[in-house]
Amino acid sequence: MSFLQPLALIALPLMALPIIIHLINQQRHRTIPWAAMMFLMDAKRMSRGMARLRHLLILLMRVLAIGALIFAISRPLSGGWLGSVGLSKPDATLILLDRSASMEMQDLQAGESKRSTALKRLAQLLEQGDYGTHLLLIDSANGQMQEVDSPNALLNLPTTGASATSANIPTMLETALAYLKANESGRAEIWICSDLNENDWDIHSGRWNAIREAFAQLEGVHHFLLAYTDPPSSNLSVRVENVQRWKRGNDAELILDVLVRRDGSSGDTRRVPIEFEVNNVQSVVEMELDTLGAVLQGHRIPIDAKLSSGWGSVSLPGDANPLDNRFFFVFSEPPVRKSVVVSDDKRIGEAFHRALATPMDARLQHHTDVIPVPRVAEIDWENTGLLIWQAALPSGLVAEQIEHFVNSGRVVIFFPPVGALMQNAGEQGWEPHALRWGDWQATEGNEVTKVGWWRGDADLLAHVASGDALPLNGLRTYRYRTLEGTGTQLARFDDDAPLLTRVPTDHGAIYFCSTLPTAQFSSLERDGIVFYIMLQRALTEGCLTLAAAAQRDAGLGVLADREQWELVAPAENTFSLSQRELHAGVHREGEYWVAINRSRAEDSAKASPVETVDALFDGLSYRRIDVDVGDTSALASELWRIFLIAMALALILEAVLSLPSRKTEATALIDPATADGSTK
Amino acid sequence: MALQLRRDYLNQQVMERLSTLQLHARLPMIGSVSGKHRSPIRGSSLEFAEYRKYVPGDDTRRLDWRAYARNDRYYIKEFEADTNLRMCLVVDTSGSMDFTDNGTGEEAGLSKLDYARRVAGTLAYIAALQGDAVGLYCAGETFHIEIPPKRSATHLSVVLDELGTMEASGETGLADILHETAERIPQRALIIVISDLFIDPQVVRNCFDHLRFRKHDVAVFHLMEQNELDFEFDRPMRFIDMEGGEPILADPTVIGTQYRRAMQMYLENMDEVVRDTEVDYHRIYIHEDYGDVLARFLLGRTPKRHK
Repeated sequence: MSFLQPLALIALPLMALPIIIHLINQQRHRTIPWAAMMFLMDAKRMSRGMARLRHLLILLMRVLAIGALIFAISRPLSGGWLGSVGLSKPDATLILLDRSASMEMQDLQAGESKRSTALKRLAQLLEQGDYGTHLLLIDSANGQMQEVDSPNALLNLPTTGASATSANIPTMLETALAYLKANESGRAEIWICSDLNENDWDIHSGRWNAIREAFAQLEGVHHFLLAYTDPPSSNLSVRVENVQRWKRGNDAELILDVLVRRDGSSGDTRRVPIEFEVNNVQSVVEMELDTLGAVLQGHRIPIDAKLSSGWGSVSLPGDANPLDNRFFFVFSEPPVRKSVVVSDDKRIGEAFHRALATPMDARLQHHTDVIPVPRVAEIDWENTGLLIWQAALPSGLVAEQIEHFVNSGRVVIFFPPVGALMQNAGEQGWEPHALRWGDWQATEGNEVTKVGWWRGDADLLAHVASGDALPLNGLRTYRYRTLEGTGTQLARFDDDAPLLTRVPTDHGAIYFCSTLPTAQFSSLERDGIVFYIMLQRALTEGCLTLAAAAQRDAGLGVLADREQWELVAPAENTFSLSQRELHAGVHREGEYWVAINRSRAEDSAKASPVETVDALFDGLSYRRIDVDVGDTSALASELWRIFLIAMALALILEAVLSLPSRKTEATALIDPATADGSTK
Repeated sequence: MALQLRRDYLNQQVMERLSTLQLHARLPMIGSVSGKHRSPIRGSSLEFAEYRKYVPGDDTRRLDWRAYARNDRYYIKEFEADTNLRMCLVVDTSGSMDFTDNGTGEEAGLSKLDYARRVAGTLAYIAALQGDAVGLYCAGETFHIEIPPKRSATHLSVVLDELGTMEASGETGLADILHETAERIPQRALIIVISDLFIDPQVVRNCFDHLRFRKHDVAVFHLMEQNELDFEFDRPMRFIDMEGGEPILADPTVIGTQYRRAMQMYLENMDEVVRDTEVDYHRIYIHEDYGDVLARFLLGRTPKRHK
């Protein structure tokens, strides 16, 4: 329980006043000679039971009445979870607002989403209480800290509105931590409003330990988590993948996969109409959903052959979360999948060329250039999706170009140079994430090095669509080069040396493969399958940015690569330019199209277990407050009326208990009229 | 009879007012001389009692010749005998009798013993005035007096002197003195008990039964003080036992109700004892004027046949 006037609680010792008065009264006794001692002894004997209890109750009622009065004056707020806050007011209150798409899950009757419910209740609570000199908002979409004038202003800020983004709670906490450290804030309250979405919390991240330890060093920081722990209500979400525009003769068509996900339903099958809209032409397809949802694979939509690029959307009927009922997509003619192999070894270059120039789909155009290191300047960086670098790690201008190449979403795979590492004098080679090649390792005799482990759930070596694993266990490696430094291993040999390593990057991808495809080094080229699939997947990923149309997850900076994006859809999107990239929609600049949607993780209603989330705050001052969607009742309400009523009740009870019982009998006894000495 | 009154506890005006009244016994008394009280023995007063058949040996002077003339039978005409009475004053001189009236009336500051002294003295005077014998018995732990009833003026003086000098202290010996009195006084007497009777009603019952069994006429002045009934104090008190017992520290606001309930039960029991033993009981509050109390007492004992 917290108090609006906590200073009044200083008067709490006054509750002992009735007891002290009672004790003083006991000490102030008068001594008188008394004749009727026999009745006194009888009375004392009789008063050991109920009478003594009655007297104690009277004393208790007096104590309670004073206590209730003091509590009423101190204006208590309801909510046992505020008990740990303490009595002093915070210097700063930080609100970490999860604006992810899953927070838009609504209570259909109240029409309030998780986000709006949390905001309203929090604003109401802070308005009642004392939020300190600084009220700061960190919203998940912008990630920036913003000073807020008053709690009620939270309700009208554009930075507290709905967004299609994902949240990153650890990052938000790190931002809060940085603020608290920089400002050396004393007492601070951190309010986290979130639905505990597994993706947003990233509970397995190693950052949590550092965050927890850093907060543990700060004194007077209290964490409150407004959490929605109720099971998700029945909700459908739609997503479109693999949008392809193909020409068939004189006609054209769109082929796309539609995924409808179903959460929190009773499990019965149902049919749902799916509405497609392409080029202002609408069509409806009914899908039968099972307990998990349904997938409509390879759905074809005929389009005008002249329509080389454009946009469309897939919509579901309205349900609990309006943000995941429509998915925008854009399409354009498939780009030429261009890759560049930089290698001084012609045989090795040819091996790469054969694997990259052979398209998986005959309708796709592949183009691969193999160039030696000295001709690097000829690379058409803009139209290249994949760079294979089989040479010493680049340096200088080339390294910068490659870095920019990766940052624009392309893919680079480094293969080890055959010879010794040649480095120009005084020139430091590029070492992405501090990785660099070590020495060559070779097997002896007929021995081969086998792959001991590889990551089959994602990335370049993931299992194929049928679920079968790539035949990496059949790969034989005769020579490989060690890698100094650490990255994310995707495959490693029996001796734990890495075969394929990924460097963590914000955009694009950088891989290091420790061996070469030719027979002198491994059976990659001869076995073919692993080598071909690995390169094709890297090429596909790298060429995603080459297309004129791109699907992107909502988030800060997704529209940063073009200057004049024009909003195409939806028409009701009235957000400011800076906020548009946080909401689902279609944007266009010339021939380029971008469809922004929520991330895949937001479609999942899977919440982190509350116990696990609680464990993240072990050792910190932390309180979780479970709230329901749509429940906008006050988190804390003033209770002084209850205490006043309690005081009145205590006083009434005290009065009733103090009433002299059987006064009439006693009066009759002493009435001289009945004791006039008449003869009995 | 003229008496020289030298006792300051006696009020001349009260005595003069009461001298017009007579003290009557409710039961026939057996006295030694002629007096104003009925006797169970037939005598020679003017009050006709009954006829009875003549038996040889009867005094022929008492034959009713008129009856013989009418019936031709001998009848003896009997008359009531008027005799004097023995009045024994039993005064409780236990420590509790020293309890004082804290009221604001004329009698404020008067203890129960003072009150008892006045009542006993006045009654002794009235009894002596009408020729009755007066005795005094004091029932205290340390103050023990036994003055058998006698009729002389000198004796009255002794009684009044003793009344004037008696003091209250110690535990009560009332029960013992009553039993003793019942046994020691050989003939019927008027026993007047003046006490606060702070003893078990059952013990009181036994005493009264004993006295009644010995054909004594018993009158009781039960002296009480108003505070003892009300028990109204606003703060804890340390009660000192006036009869020498352990003091008790108590909060009257806590035990007041129980005290009054205990008092009520005691008074109810006392009423029952009085009713069963047929004693002449008077519950007196010491703030009352003792002259009025005695007037009420004397009038209440006046035989109805005289009215």
